[in-house]
Amino acid sequence: MKEIEILVIGGGPAGLSAATAAANLGASVLVLERDGKPGGQLVKQTHKFFGSKKQYAGDRGYQIGNLLIDECEKNPKVEVWTDSTALGIYEDGVVTAEGQGKHLKIKPKKIIVATGASEKMIAFPNNDLPGIYGAGAVQTLMNVYGIVPGKRVLMIGAGNIGLIVSYQLMQAGVEIAGIIEASPTIGGYLVHASKIRRAGVPILTSHTIIEAYGQESVEGAKICQLDAQWQPIPGSEQDLNVDVICLAVGLSPLTELCFQADCQMKYVPELSGHVPIRNESLETTRPGLYVAGDVSGVEEASSAMVEGRLAGICAAYSLGYGTDEAPKLQREALAELSELRAGPAGQKTVKGIMKLMDKGGAAC
Amino acid sequence: MLNKTGVPTLEDIQTVSPSEERLKKGPVAIIECFQEIPCNPCTEACKQGAIRPMEDINNLPKLDLDKCNGCGVCLSRCPGLAIFIVDASYSDTEAIVRIPYEYYPVPQVGEKVVGLNRAGDELGTFEVSKVQSGGQKNKTYTIWLIVPQSLAMEVRGLRLRSTEIQPKETIVCRCEDITLGEIQALIKEGYSTIDEIKRAARAGMGPCQGRTCRMLIAQELAKFYSIPVGEVLMPTFRPTVKPVKLGTYAGGE
Amino acid sequence: MRITEHPILEFQRGEEVTFFFEGQELKGFEGETIAAALHAAGIKVLGHSPNMHRPRGLFCAIGNCSSCLMVVNGEPNIRICVEKLKPGMRVETQQGKGCLK
Repeated sequence: MKEIEILVIGGGPAGLSAATAAANLGASVLVLERDGKPGGQLVKQTHKFFGSKKQYAGDRGYQIGNLLIDECEKNPKVEVWTDSTALGIYEDGVVTAEGQGKHLKIKPKKIIVATGASEKMIAFPNNDLPGIYGAGAVQTLMNVYGIVPGKRVLMIGAGNIGLIVSYQLMQAGVEIAGIIEASPTIGGYLVHASKIRRAGVPILTSHTIIEAYGQESVEGAKICQLDAQWQPIPGSEQDLNVDVICLAVGLSPLTELCFQADCQMKYVPELSGHVPIRNESLETTRPGLYVAGDVSGVEEASSAMVEGRLAGICAAYSLGYGTDEAPKLQREALAELSELRAGPAGQKTVKGIMKLMDKGGAAC
Repeated sequence: MLNKTGVPTLEDIQTVSPSEERLKKGPVAIIECFQEIPCNPCTEACKQGAIRPMEDINNLPKLDLDKCNGCGVCLSRCPGLAIFIVDASYSDTEAIVRIPYEYYPVPQVGEKVVGLNRAGDELGTFEVSKVQSGGQKNKTYTIWLIVPQSLAMEVRGLRLRSTEIQPKETIVCRCEDITLGEIQALIKEGYSTIDEIKRAARAGMGPCQGRTCRMLIAQELAKFYSIPVGEVLMPTFRPTVKPVKLGTYAGGE
Repeated sequence: MRITEHPILEFQRGEEVTFFFEGQELKGFEGETIAAALHAAGIKVLGHSPNMHRPRGLFCAIGNCSSCLMVVNGEPNIRICVEKLKPGMRVETQQGKGCLK
C-alpha cells in the first residue's frame, strides 16, 4: 500500500495545478492519470486560450498543457503515475487504482478529486451509429493522432466546444455542413462563432436533430427547426448529407468517485449536473476530500487551473504546510476566480455555486 | 370519392354544413356521417332532442340545428368519431372546433398542435383551449382547438407537434442495447428510480457503468413524473468505476 | 484519413508498424491507439451490439463509453480507443459481449 500526503486523482489542468501548488508548499503529492500522458483535455486544444496572463491567456491549450506538465515534473515533491485509473474510494480512506495492469492501494492523508467531466449524450433515433462521435473524440482523433473522422460533419451544439471543434475540423480540412443548436441563441463565445460564420459555415439556432440514418455508419441526418416552445416546426425538416455527426451537447461532471465517497451531492443545472457540495476551500462534506475543475462544476480550463491551485493550497495548508504564505495564496486564487467569473459569461457559474453553497449573497 | 379515399367530398360536407348565420349563433354539432350503417348512439346521447330518433337504425342522423346547443355529448358517444362541434361565436376572427381524440399522449391545455383537414393535410398550428376526458369507460377525449374562422369547417383532426422520436430506434444504453422505448415502457409500468430500471433492464450495468445512459434515464423519469431532473434519485455508486480484469486483482495488492 | 499538413500542429508519428484487422494487413504507427490506426484506414464499424446487433463505432475515444470494445490478440472487451497499437496485433470486430477462449 502506497502512503502519501496528498493524492490527486486526474492529471488535467486542475489536477496538475493542484499538485504543483501543494508541492510548492512542501507537501508530497501523487497524481493518478489514466492516460499515458498527463494534461487532460488540454493536449487536444489548438486554439489560443482566453483569460488573463495568470492563466496563460494567448497560449494555445496544448502548450499550456505542456507547461503544467513541466512544472509538475521538475518538482521533486510530485510523483505522476500515468496509465493509472482510480477505481474506488472506500470508507477507510483507501483509494484503489489500476496502474499499468496492476491493482494498487493508496492511503492518502488528503484527496483532491480532479476527474473532469464526461460528454453528455442525447437521445435520437440511430444515435449509436458509427460516425457519431462526442466532440472530445473528434478532437482526440484529429489533434492528438492527426486523423480526420470523415468528410462532412454535422455539429450538434453551438456552445464553446461545438464552435471550437467545428473550427478545428475546418483547420484539418474537413467540411462542416452546419452547426445546429436547440436553444435560440449561440451558447459559446461569439468571437468563436463569427470566426466560423465568416468561413461560410451556417449556424442554425433553434434547430435540432430528428434522426441519423445509414446502414453500417452515418450516411445522413435529418434536422428541423424549433419554435419558441422548443417544439419542431412541421415542414421545416432538412436532410443533410454527412458522414459524421459530432455531439457537443455539453459535459457532465465525472462524479462517480464523489458519490462513492459519500460526499453530499446536489444537482445544479448551472454547473452541468450533480456536483459535490463544498466550502470555499473546495473541501467537500467528506473531510479531507477536495474537488477542483470540471468535477466541481463544468467551466473553462482557465478556472479549472485556478481551482486546482486553490485546492492544492488548501489541502497542503490543512496538513500544516505553508502556514505563512498559504492564506495569502488562497486569497489570491479566490480573487482570480472571482475575476474570471465576473463577466456575463461567468454569471451562470456564480449562480450555480451560490445554489450549491446555499448562499443568498456573494460566492466566489 | 369517400368510398375510395375515406375523405368526404365537398358535396358530402355541404349536406351537413349549417348556415353562416347558425354558425355565428354559437356551438353546433356537425355530424359527418355519410353512410347508412346500423348505428344510433347519437340519438340516445342527445338530451336536447336535436338528433331525432331514427325510424330505421340504418338511417343517417338528422340534426335539428335550432335545438342543438353544441353540448357535445353526441361527439363523445359517436362510435365513428364522426361528430365535431364548431363554435364560430368564439371571437371575430377565431372559432373553436371540438375534435374527438383517441391517441396517446393526450394534448395538454395551452399546447400547440398541428391541425389536420379531412385528408390529413396540415393546416397550421393551433392552440388547445380545453381537454375533456370521456371518462373511465368511454375514454374518448374531446380536444378544443382555437382555429381561424375560415378553417372552422376544415380542421377535423390533430397531431401532436413534437415529431416524437421513434423510441424503438433510439438507443439509451449502448452497452446493454436498451432502447428509449424499453425505458419508457418500464417507467410506465411503475419503475420509478434509476436503480430500479438498472435492476430490471441492466441499463447502466454495462462496461461504461452508466456514463452514457444515466442522465438520459433521469431525464425520462423527470419527464414522466413532471419533476426537475435534479430530483430524480441517483443510483448507488460503487467501486470500481471501470471494468477491471480478474487477473489484475489476482496479481495486485 | 491522416492529416498531413496542419496550420497549428505537427504530428510526430512513431515507427510504422503492421497489424491485422480481420486478417487483413494494415499499417499504423507505434504510439497511436488501435482506434486511431483503424480510423486512418477508414474502418468505422468496430463490432456489433449484443442483442440487436447494431453496428458499433468509436464514440468517446477516451475510455469512458465502451462503444469501441474489440477482440485484440484473441482477448475480447479491449477498449481500443485507449489501447496502443503494437506490431503484429490481431484486431477483430467483437460481436456482442465477447467470450473467453
